[in-house]
Amino acid sequence: MSYTIINVGQGSCGIAAGAGKVKKVLDEKLAGSGINVGIVGCIGMCWLEPIVDVYEDGKLHRLVKVSESSAEEIAAAVLSGDFAALSKYEITADDKDFLDQQTRIALRNCGIIDPESIEAYINAGGYKALEKVVTTMTQQQVIDEIKTSGLAGRGGAGFPTWFKWNAANQSAGETKYLICNADEGDPGAFMDRAVIESDPHTLIEGMLIAAYAIGASEAVVYVRAEYPLAIVRLKKAIAQAKQAGYIGKNIFGTDFSCEFTIKAGAGAFVCGEETALIASLEGERGMPRLKPPFPAQKGYWQKPSNINNVETFANVAWIINNGGAAFAAMGTENSKGTKVFALTGKIKRGGLVEIPMGKTLRDVIFGIGGGIKEDKKFKAVQMGGPSGGCIPEQLLDTVIDYKELSATGAIMGSGGMVVMDETTCMVGMAKFFLDFTAKESCGKCVHCRIGTKRMQEILTRIVEGNGKEGDIELLEELCSAVKEGALCGLGQTAPNPVLTTIKYFRNEYEAHINNKKCPAHECRDLISYSIDADKCRGCTLCAKKCPAKAISGEVKTPHAIDPNVCIKCGQCAAVCRFGAVKVD
Amino acid sequence: MITITINGKVCKCNEGEYILKVAQDNGIDIPNLCNDESVAVYGACGLCQIEVLDDGHGKALPKLMRACATKAQDGYVVSYDTERVNRSRKVALELLMSDHDGDCVAPCHLNCPAGTDIQKYLKQISGGDYHGAVETIKEAFPIPASIGRVCPHPCEKNCRRGNVEQPLSIAFLKAYAADKDLADGTYKPQCKPESGKKVAIVGGGPAGLTAAFFLRRSGHSVTVYDAMAKMGGMLRYGIPAYRLPKDILERECQEIKSLGVEYVNNCKIGKDVTLEQLQKDNDAVIVANGAWKSMNMRVEGEGLEGVVGGIDFLRNISSGEGERPDLTGLTVAVCGGGNTAMDACRSAVRCGADKVYVVYRRTRDEMPAEDIEIEEAIEEGVDFKFLTNPAQIIGEDGKVKQMKLQVMQLGEPDASGRRSPVPVEGKFEYIDVDKVIMAIGQSIEVSGFDCLEKTRKGTIAADENTFMTSVDGVFAVGDATNRGASIAIEAIGEANKCAAVVDSYLSGKLTAYRKPFVSKRDVKDIDFSVYDKKDRIKMPARPAEERKHDFNEVYLGFGDEEKVQSEAKRCLECGCHDYGDCRLIKYANICEIDPARFAGVKNNNPVERKLVSIERNPNKCILCSLCVRVCDEVAGKGILGLVGRGFGTVIKPEFNDESVIEACAQCGKCVEACPTGALKLLK
Repeated sequence: MSYTIINVGQGSCGIAAGAGKVKKVLDEKLAGSGINVGIVGCIGMCWLEPIVDVYEDGKLHRLVKVSESSAEEIAAAVLSGDFAALSKYEITADDKDFLDQQTRIALRNCGIIDPESIEAYINAGGYKALEKVVTTMTQQQVIDEIKTSGLAGRGGAGFPTWFKWNAANQSAGETKYLICNADEGDPGAFMDRAVIESDPHTLIEGMLIAAYAIGASEAVVYVRAEYPLAIVRLKKAIAQAKQAGYIGKNIFGTDFSCEFTIKAGAGAFVCGEETALIASLEGERGMPRLKPPFPAQKGYWQKPSNINNVETFANVAWIINNGGAAFAAMGTENSKGTKVFALTGKIKRGGLVEIPMGKTLRDVIFGIGGGIKEDKKFKAVQMGGPSGGCIPEQLLDTVIDYKELSATGAIMGSGGMVVMDETTCMVGMAKFFLDFTAKESCGKCVHCRIGTKRMQEILTRIVEGNGKEGDIELLEELCSAVKEGALCGLGQTAPNPVLTTIKYFRNEYEAHINNKKCPAHECRDLISYSIDADKCRGCTLCAKKCPAKAISGEVKTPHAIDPNVCIKCGQCAAVCRFGAVKVD
Repeated sequence: MITITINGKVCKCNEGEYILKVAQDNGIDIPNLCNDESVAVYGACGLCQIEVLDDGHGKALPKLMRACATKAQDGYVVSYDTERVNRSRKVALELLMSDHDGDCVAPCHLNCPAGTDIQKYLKQISGGDYHGAVETIKEAFPIPASIGRVCPHPCEKNCRRGNVEQPLSIAFLKAYAADKDLADGTYKPQCKPESGKKVAIVGGGPAGLTAAFFLRRSGHSVTVYDAMAKMGGMLRYGIPAYRLPKDILERECQEIKSLGVEYVNNCKIGKDVTLEQLQKDNDAVIVANGAWKSMNMRVEGEGLEGVVGGIDFLRNISSGEGERPDLTGLTVAVCGGGNTAMDACRSAVRCGADKVYVVYRRTRDEMPAEDIEIEEAIEEGVDFKFLTNPAQIIGEDGKVKQMKLQVMQLGEPDASGRRSPVPVEGKFEYIDVDKVIMAIGQSIEVSGFDCLEKTRKGTIAADENTFMTSVDGVFAVGDATNRGASIAIEAIGEANKCAAVVDSYLSGKLTAYRKPFVSKRDVKDIDFSVYDKKDRIKMPARPAEERKHDFNEVYLGFGDEEKVQSEAKRCLECGCHDYGDCRLIKYANICEIDPARFAGVKNNNPVERKLVSIERNPNKCILCSLCVRVCDEVAGKGILGLVGRGFGTVIKPEFNDESVIEACAQCGKCVEACPTGALKLLK
């Protein structure tokens, strides 16, 4: 029997690109046809959204960059059975390669199953691992399996997951808590959001297994309020799982019981730090607490608690189903399994990438990501967001591995991977992240509260052309003091973007300070635009486009820019067809 | 019990005790600002960092630890002042100070060369506690009745009340308190037990007397040698009696003597005794011999009879003890624009001169003399010839007859910021005069001090911070040293610092003077419009017609005690109430910080008094949160909380909810806990 299935990608990214409207058109046009238009989460190919998957008797036609008008054509083609007509929307072999090069474990169901349907998850093998765990395994066996897998915390620190579970398990006390950290705050990171929006049951199942292993009967998901769709889908999934008996009392008829709650964070970056997260959960101001005691000893409400990140939990069911050894078979000596990255920036194919540890940065950026937009020159990649560092071209063959990445001065981090090309000023980049951390410091530690502010001020004066001799050294001194003096990860890692840019791009700092020049031509205070009279044909286009009316000249005679009026927006350079606009 | 070692000191303690607590119990002060035993460990300030050099198993811990939050384990060897720790602590303090907007001490105090705690004694005067006020002043110098009368008071020039209407009359208030103190049983400081050390001081002027006073108080045996017949130096022989009555100065000299200081007068170094001899007979020598030579003008005719130095003229009047030079019927020209010139011209008037000119090459605005002195000289009939410069003194029969004056005009500003005088080519004036007094500057008499190295200016070279000369054990201060002559209070300031250095020298370990670091506010950040205007008290003076005929004191004194106290109450109390107890400034000085390196924007939040009896100044707050925690954990109220994030984080009523303030029981525990002056209990 022939059948047709249509799924529209409905992650936040797809919706932002217009997937909601596309689905509406498909719904309308296919109404009454017997063909149902379903939804799936995010497949991770952001640059191709909206994406519509059409299954012709199991044969997948992946249609990309679908607009409302093309949706009408697609509906017509499907209705008439003319699947060949879909070919013009079909993903290219090149783009398809983006997925083919990946190994998906945490993201295994993302963009494939309906995130709002527990049946879809169960059909994909869901809750089998939970059943296995609670009905056939002891807590210690679960912990041992995770130990075998080598799974490490995917939130950034890379601490062995089994060790934390074991510590919480060993802590004395009747009441224990399991907490999921879904306060994904790094600029440019969206791995956790994608998992919750696209496959919330994977998270729930992983958390239930962990709760079982540590002996917790209460689980809390701390998710940032800026993820409304994730919260909606997670709530729905929890309700479904409760309905199905996976959450609640006597799960699978055993003694194991576990309840779930969701807490929406109020937007403080520091609440991604586990002790601050606990303070926030308890209704206190989100500020880190002293460690020890560690949460495994005294955490939420002073009870033993275990906190893991979304991606960590998303791996758990797979590990139980496939065995820890299968997971450990992937990766390097120090880093096992796969890692999800949010690949963004000046990259041709940006999106979610899951690859086995041990691949190189070059594999990800040039292999999967397809290289730099407009074929510009690669300059650096920022790993780990504001807590991480930049890695320059000469280190592109660095292997993705916790140790190897740390050796560069960057970190694995939670998976943010921001690619920069030759037009990115590295001082400006460091300033961007310091702007962020200075604002997000909770204010508790002197080194972090005032130190990051002063670093940001120094970086600001450098990019504005007011840098002074000795500023680099002053920054370095502040960096090391803030690293040593701050209590939590936010402060201890905040200097990393500055330290790595100084380490790899010191010449750019020096150019700003000594020559008052920005080599990347990005810092407005340090550049000037002028027109090369030999190249200018007097077409007047630049003068027309100039928002500041800084360009004058007669038709067919060379134009000129008044530097006193010019606002350095770069529009003239962008529109000139003769390459006559020079930037210095 | 376990054993840990903190900076080499072995300490017994219980397992699990915090290291900061163990240190405190053993008398070791590990810097900290956010810790208090009454509340839970917090760990914010980062000052109590330590390095664990040995964890008891032969291994060092890689990270710096916070002593407040690190539990002692048997065999721990820790240090709180390794280079790494010191660097981190110094940066923390510099960062804190870079966002600290407060005045540790008031600008009057800060600008007093002697470092007098003016705010404190004004407060004492405002409450009628004159002995207390004098006690406060005598922590800085011993002769307040004299100095109060003659000091050009840099304090008043820096008084912030001047931004409201006029500065306080600080100097005269001081003289008032000192007169009261002298009148009814003066305050007598205690001297420490005899040290057995001997100090010789050369020169009994303000500097020498001050050094004598403090060294005597430190228990040393002190002898002051002076070339003149009486002590007081320039205060006696330079300042005319109409400004400083000699009996008042004498009283104050005697007060110092009464502590056990020996006075030897009419003793000239190099003539009556040698410096080498003093050195031999004493454990230390302080040279404070002043600058007693009038500088020459280098014009033709200076050698004529009737040309005299300003200092010499004044000394002649003062030492005459009643037999003053009679200038009746004569015309006198005083050259110069400083205070000595004013003293000379006004003394000349009092000696009966017919006509007195002041020849000054710039205008009144540029005159270095105190404005009130100029004003009073004009009242007394002195004729100011501005923009003229002596070109020649013309004589007849070897005696002064006439002066040729070069007419000047003001040109470009010079290094001092004053517009420099330039001659108007070929333009001269002539005045007939009988006497010319040169009051253009002083220099020092070096004979007798040949063994001491000199500066290029010919003054005695002394180290700026130890006051030591080129000869070990011989110190020098005041007009005779380095930059040369200045005002009395400058010499006094050097002398009291020098006394402390000499005291340390005598105890065997010379400690140089170190200028303390203090936090200062920028005056442009202060809103003066909140103060009600209240005019400065006026000092009544005798009318010019009366006073110009004698050397009796010009000023009549404030008299009215109520007025005096009300004047003292005009003080804005700029200095921080917590300066003496502030832990932030204490550690800032211990760690020798330089917050200018990290200068940047400062938080600026209004001072608020919503907690009724407690004033909260967020601009002095270091966010240690002790007030927040004490209010919550000790007082059980939880009124305060941290609001905002990042650099702009501020302590406010919890959730920024003003209504929670009503719960405040005014217990003041937050004020007690505050390590800085951010919180103040209002009386």
